[in-house]
Amino acid sequence: MYDFIIIGAGVIGSSVARELSKYQAKTLCLEKENDVANVQSLANSAIIHAGHNPEPGSLKAILSIRGNLLYDDWEKDLHIPLLRTGAFVVAHNKEEESKLEDILETSRKNKVPNYEILSGDQARKIEPNLAKSITKVLSLPSTKVTYPWEVAFACMENAIDNGVEFQKNKLVTNISVIDGGFEIEVNHKEKYRTKNVINAAGVDSSNLGAFIEEPPFQIKPRKGEYFVLDKRVEGFMKHVIYPLPSDKGKGVLITPQVHGNILLGPSSEYIDDLHKAKTTDEGLAYIKKHSTALAENIPFHMIIRSFAGIRSTSTYDDFYIKESSENKGFYYLGGIESPGLTAAPAIGPYLVNEVIKVKNNYHPKADFNPYRSQRLEFHRLPWQEKKKLLDEDPLYGRIICKCEKITEKEIIDAIHGPLGSHSIKGIKKRVRAGAGLCQGGYCEEKIMKIIARELDISPLDLEYDDLKSKLFKEETKVKK
Amino acid sequence: MMKDVIVIGGGAGGLAAAIEIHQAGKDVLLIEREEFLGGILNQCIHNGFGLEVFKEEYTGPEYANQFIDVFLQEKIDYLLDTTVIGLKKEGHIFTVETSNESQGIEFYQTQTVVVSTGSYERTRGQISIPGDRPYGVITAGSAQRYLNTDGLLVGKKVFILGSGDIGLIMARRMKLEGAEVLGVAEIMPHSNGLNRNIVQCLNDFDIPLYLSHTVTEIIADDHQRLSKIKVSKVDESFRVIKGSEKVFEVDTLLLSIGLIPDVTILDDLGVEIDKRTKSVKVNQAYETNIEGLFVCGNALQVHDLVDNVTLESKRAGQAVVRYLNKDKVKENHTLSLNPGTNLAYITPQRLDMGLEQENISLSFRSRKKMEKAVCKIYQNSQLIFEKKLFFVLPAEMETIQLPFKTIQDQGDLKVELEVKS
Repeated sequence: MYDFIIIGAGVIGSSVARELSKYQAKTLCLEKENDVANVQSLANSAIIHAGHNPEPGSLKAILSIRGNLLYDDWEKDLHIPLLRTGAFVVAHNKEEESKLEDILETSRKNKVPNYEILSGDQARKIEPNLAKSITKVLSLPSTKVTYPWEVAFACMENAIDNGVEFQKNKLVTNISVIDGGFEIEVNHKEKYRTKNVINAAGVDSSNLGAFIEEPPFQIKPRKGEYFVLDKRVEGFMKHVIYPLPSDKGKGVLITPQVHGNILLGPSSEYIDDLHKAKTTDEGLAYIKKHSTALAENIPFHMIIRSFAGIRSTSTYDDFYIKESSENKGFYYLGGIESPGLTAAPAIGPYLVNEVIKVKNNYHPKADFNPYRSQRLEFHRLPWQEKKKLLDEDPLYGRIICKCEKITEKEIIDAIHGPLGSHSIKGIKKRVRAGAGLCQGGYCEEKIMKIIARELDISPLDLEYDDLKSKLFKEETKVKK
Repeated sequence: MMKDVIVIGGGAGGLAAAIEIHQAGKDVLLIEREEFLGGILNQCIHNGFGLEVFKEEYTGPEYANQFIDVFLQEKIDYLLDTTVIGLKKEGHIFTVETSNESQGIEFYQTQTVVVSTGSYERTRGQISIPGDRPYGVITAGSAQRYLNTDGLLVGKKVFILGSGDIGLIMARRMKLEGAEVLGVAEIMPHSNGLNRNIVQCLNDFDIPLYLSHTVTEIIADDHQRLSKIKVSKVDESFRVIKGSEKVFEVDTLLLSIGLIPDVTILDDLGVEIDKRTKSVKVNQAYETNIEGLFVCGNALQVHDLVDNVTLESKRAGQAVVRYLNKDKVKENHTLSLNPGTNLAYITPQRLDMGLEQENISLSFRSRKKMEKAVCKIYQNSQLIFEKKLFFVLPAEMETIQLPFKTIQDQGDLKVELEVKS
């Protein structure tokens, strides 16, 4: 019997897994997808907000302020990439300026550090491409940008290193209450028993609760659509630019990314299907229209991709992080929409220490290793380090992804690493091969051959993403 | 290591340029990213190559081999499986930073660089086709490589967006491998491919061509594989006509929606860019505004026929030789060459008046289909040259020879296409 089973390995499930790995408890994390960070954590703005938005006193406010600070620790311990961008919330006229005052007040109450009001001209001195129509901005220097996939990888790798079990492709198909805990049925066959369940299943969290009880909230998923601009636009905007929030959320933003790209978006819309977020003509047109209010001459010709991400908005108007009132030992992490990524480093400790109160039942591990080694980005290294690595392994010299300058060795490491992946999408998430200008046109064939060679499998068994997403239909040449 | 010339890219363009330069006695190093010479020709196993240059009809690999054989006989230095990861210029010297498995990272120095890095395929992301993000939406050239080089079929029920030549060729190729090809949609009211490909690849195989149509939604199955596409008719302004939607059940959508010159290698050099060609601006010697930096082949402008890449790259090679021989007659000044009415673009974009030569090759595309077209070149509001072209199409690049002596010493040139009255 497990002490804890975490269901869901997005950013939140991974954060909880890492926190629980500090204790002498038998912990398993189950993920229905073929990779961590594959639904909500896959497609979002990547921003670590300053905390200027959530209602003062709410869990969203408290945990996002804590989370923002904890990212600095995660950067050091887990090598999570951070871009310290700062942010501007912009106003265009007197009416908007008065709304900016409200946000200033929220920032004050939430104890956002070092915020200040700048005139439009002062802001444009710092960000010359800011729209000329902007009259006033609220500057939020503590805003940062991270790389959400790496956040989940880092936490889960560190959790595994500290003894947590992780299993992917495990869809929970039933949960039943048993004596002293729960029985979890997976893929309609295997069964796991556990004393405690941590429901970090994102958009599926209310459905999961419904296996054993009337869930305390319902998920009403929203989607957000985005454009990605090629990394060659790096420097066009150095700050995250927010419009004033509306009832539809934070609005369309301009967000610089850690690898030099810029995101435009999101749109925001409620959708019916929990598992499908698609882009639409209307959504993409909405982003173009609204982003032009933020900046002059946005390089739309540098768009290399558009995508849509899902948000697990719930009927409860805050994060729902509580134990079930009917079934002790069943914990909900519900409605973790924005600022969920921001709050992630605080959500794990909050749940484990303040809700579960794990110390009452489990001892800390004396040998807990808080560190996770850095994923190597060869092309960013200084010359001496490159030289040294090339002496150790010449495959650092073979460039596979020309756009992002990713080497064969990095791809091999992504296949065999502690949280390795065998899918094209998994490799892209780990090393960015295929994330550039040509979107895999040049390198996908080479990556597919490397995966087949490393695993000694037929190309017909290669996956794009999940286990059934085979890349090829048949071989046309007879093998000698 | 110092070289007279470094040629980046070992496809049709790079091979022709390197041979031309080496035969003039210059020291050349050619750098190729793939494990073989010949570039994209290697996956173009259909015929139709070489009619212009050899008066023969070759397959892609056969055409490439004509040049690879000469290249190897000439004993020109080359590196395979080697990526150029940096290109810088200090003073008169370029430093080319290369990366490969056998040597690691190396630096080569040269006074002259020829960039013949070809083009890349426009992707779904660049035209923002809405919908899900499944696998099975793949550029036609990638599918061609999987099929012809690796023997792997990407799909069994195929639709093709864009009537560019690669799309048309792949329609036939997939059909011959037993896939069902349901149709080709083209947003323009005319095809973007060569007429012979429409006939031989679509008509002969009963594959329908939907002109003024585009893909308006991509739909995935539960395992992120393409399952359906929606195709709609568009009006003259490319707006979708409501109610014209057709649904096709397919597992693969091939994209043949254009090639873009790949000159990302020049990002750090501050080369002047032409928004129309999406590449660099050059003079009639294929030299950019950076002295000693030459660009030719699909890296300069997308060609319809490899024969034209060869001819252009030979001219570029000859120009490099003249540059190395300091074959310039007088103090140079440049005139700009601008596309006027009905022209989508023109190369070269500049004329260097210090480079005397008999004829200057001008390449351009029309914006629309025109019968009885006349190309007229104006300078200082005067007509200095005209040539009858009869029938022009956006899908077919035109090349004309402008006699150098017709050009006046001062005043920018404007090139227009008019219908003969």
